[in-house]
Amino acid sequence: MFIEIGHLAVITALVVSLVGIAAPVAGIRTRNSLWISVGKQAVVLNFVLLTIGMAAMINAYVTQDYSVKYVAATSNSHLPIFYKIAGLWGGHEGSLLLWAWILSLYCMMAVLIHWKSQPVVMPYLIGMESLILAGFLLLILFLSNPFELLTPAPADGRDLNPLLQDPAMVVHPPLLYLGYVGLSIPFCFAMAALFSGRLGEEWIKVTQRWTLLAWSCLTAGVLMGGFWAYYELGWGGYWGWDPVENAAFMPWLVATAFLHSVMVQETRKMFRVWNLFLIILAFSLSLIGTFLVRSGVLTSVHSFASDPGRGVYILSFLSFMLFLSFGTLIFRSAKLKSQVEMDSLVSRESAFLFNNLFFLAAMITVFLGTLYPLLTEALKFKKVSVGPPYYNAVFMPVALGLIFLMGVGPYIPWRKASPETLKRHFLIPLAVSATSLLAFGIGGVRDLYALSGLGVVFFVLTSILFDFGKISRFWSRQRNVSFFHGFYAAFRLNPRRTAGIVTHIGVLVMIVGIIFSSIYQTEKVVVMKPGDEISLKSFKIRLVKLYGVNGPNWAGQEGLFEVYQGNRLIANLRPQKRLYMVSQTPTTETALYQIYTGHVFMTIPEVADDGSWARVRALYNPLVLWVWYGGGIMVFGAFLNIFRPRRKEIYPAAEPRKKYPPEERLLSQKHPQ
Amino acid sequence: MKFTRKKGIILSVAVILLGLGSIAYGTFTKNLVYFYTPSEVIAFPENRTGKKIKVAGLVVKQSIKITPETRDIHFNLTDQIAVIPVVFEGVPPDLFKEGQGAVVEGYWGSDKTFHSHLIMAKHSEDYMPPDMKKAGGTLPKKDFFKTLNLDPGK
Repeated sequence: MFIEIGHLAVITALVVSLVGIAAPVAGIRTRNSLWISVGKQAVVLNFVLLTIGMAAMINAYVTQDYSVKYVAATSNSHLPIFYKIAGLWGGHEGSLLLWAWILSLYCMMAVLIHWKSQPVVMPYLIGMESLILAGFLLLILFLSNPFELLTPAPADGRDLNPLLQDPAMVVHPPLLYLGYVGLSIPFCFAMAALFSGRLGEEWIKVTQRWTLLAWSCLTAGVLMGGFWAYYELGWGGYWGWDPVENAAFMPWLVATAFLHSVMVQETRKMFRVWNLFLIILAFSLSLIGTFLVRSGVLTSVHSFASDPGRGVYILSFLSFMLFLSFGTLIFRSAKLKSQVEMDSLVSRESAFLFNNLFFLAAMITVFLGTLYPLLTEALKFKKVSVGPPYYNAVFMPVALGLIFLMGVGPYIPWRKASPETLKRHFLIPLAVSATSLLAFGIGGVRDLYALSGLGVVFFVLTSILFDFGKISRFWSRQRNVSFFHGFYAAFRLNPRRTAGIVTHIGVLVMIVGIIFSSIYQTEKVVVMKPGDEISLKSFKIRLVKLYGVNGPNWAGQEGLFEVYQGNRLIANLRPQKRLYMVSQTPTTETALYQIYTGHVFMTIPEVADDGSWARVRALYNPLVLWVWYGGGIMVFGAFLNIFRPRRKEIYPAAEPRKKYPPEERLLSQKHPQ
Repeated sequence: MKFTRKKGIILSVAVILLGLGSIAYGTFTKNLVYFYTPSEVIAFPENRTGKKIKVAGLVVKQSIKITPETRDIHFNLTDQIAVIPVVFEGVPPDLFKEGQGAVVEGYWGSDKTFHSHLIMAKHSEDYMPPDMKKAGGTLPKKDFFKTLNLDPGK
């Protein structure tokens, strides 16, 4: 009963979203603001309707209604309630419904928040968002309907894929979608700016926090996916350049480029067309990402069987969106000529320019590697795939360049940097980085990538600390307060900048984690019998015994391993090989022992039925946790930025207030020596 | 002055792009791995051996044998037309089973055996590699009809 109500609600939502497209158009034509209010009502109503649709689906999962085909395919009565609900995004149909619901949520929030302050933009915003929503609802209702019923209803469901029965997988897809869909807000504001001809800096200022929110969710989602792959797939790594990972990585790269280049437009009114181009590209890539993963065009671990009708529809919808957005941009770009020119190659503008260049080059690299195989297949050439060494080879120099810019960009003045300024800001960081290189070289780091990576990381870190130290001291002297209060004063004076630097520190931490866990990873794959012993780096690992174990919906075998450091027993590890009963799917469960911030990582991918031997994979991943610690700091920095306090001068001066110079000049020229 | 400044920026952008582009081009062509079917592999001329390729097929029933000492896995892979023997050294994926689809990466040796170090099996219930779909017969009925729809020739 509930499920029919949900279905009906989503059908109504399609009609309402058509109203959401038509009403603003009518409003602009007739210049009657009543129409635009109708659009607003449509947006709110759509959120309510889609929430009913979601509730009906979740209700079907919780009450175990297997007459719903999609529920029967992705759930089972033995599942814990947690995973029953997560079954909704365990497949194609439910994921799309979740996507649409998040879109309606974002859209409602944006319309309600900016209704008063952005009246001119409203009709275009409502129209664009409704257009995207209508496109998705058409797809959901006609080609991949999660509400479809199954007669006769099976007694029980086919179970959720065991690999997805994991806490990280419960939150990973919603987070990723919050990121993908969140980009639709700046995208729609950009389109509204293009349509309405209000092409100044306003849309960028309004959408800054939205972009940051989307970026944070995207970052967290990608990291969560990497963490899941790390311990659940059991191959010891967290990133394999799988097409599905790439699909989420491409919009992330462009969104990151966008977050940086908007700053140039805000301060210098440059890069206007470029920023519009970037946000359109970022959202297009997130559409492509959604469809790549969920349409089955990709031969990848996540894809589902392809349905030709779906493919054709998705391709047409995508081309329509691309033509509409890029077409409008080209049509309008003549109006957008920037009057300001770049002053010097050695300036903050050009640091941003190179930042964008590297991010875009990275995106194109990933795009080519991900889509070239699809293209050759579509054109009926020989099927191909592109291996990870390709990505690694290109990303190494790109990453080095980007990290280097992190140490330069925030500290180099706008317009033009004089040799003295450069010397004052970068001499010490360069010296520290050179010293650290020497120390690492003597200390035994021989790998060229590791050395250059660490060298650049130290350069950036010293740049950041050096600058923090200088501004803190400046304010503590100026206001006669302690050093830390001085830092706080500087933070309150420019919270956005400080929050950005926090994110940069997160990147550094992550890079160190990536360098060590990939270059200094040790792996052993051996066949062991009970009693056998292997050595892994400084550890000795002994297989004590193999025995059977049973879980609520699986049966399997477990190995007991003792990990010794020297002669001291430091851990017992129990990796498992499981067989999930309902779907008869085997999985490999990882056992981890954390040592400092690294892991001893063990799996038993193969076990003899009688427990006489097992194939064992043992890895030592030094500093691997830094990857996620760093990611956490990055997201924290972004949230600090979203919810940053108002720019404010605390500790007011004792003498009569004098006007402060803009903070950029202050940081680059007025520093105390 | 303005001319040289502009030229400097354009030049440095071009240098970076060219550098990255040449790295990308060089590694891209080197890392392309082509897919084949067992019947294509069996028809390879002598000089095609030793190159890294991927082969998609079904693991023939009752063909998996494990060498006791090294635990190497021997099995046969088929596309319903031809059968090739495969020797696999490494960690087999969870879903590697007789009668199931698998994609193996490795090279075709002059000993008329496929030497593999990586097997990919797919975990989604619905999933079948496209090449398997063309093979048809062994699929469940639902997927079989999808296969018919997929092929515009029919």
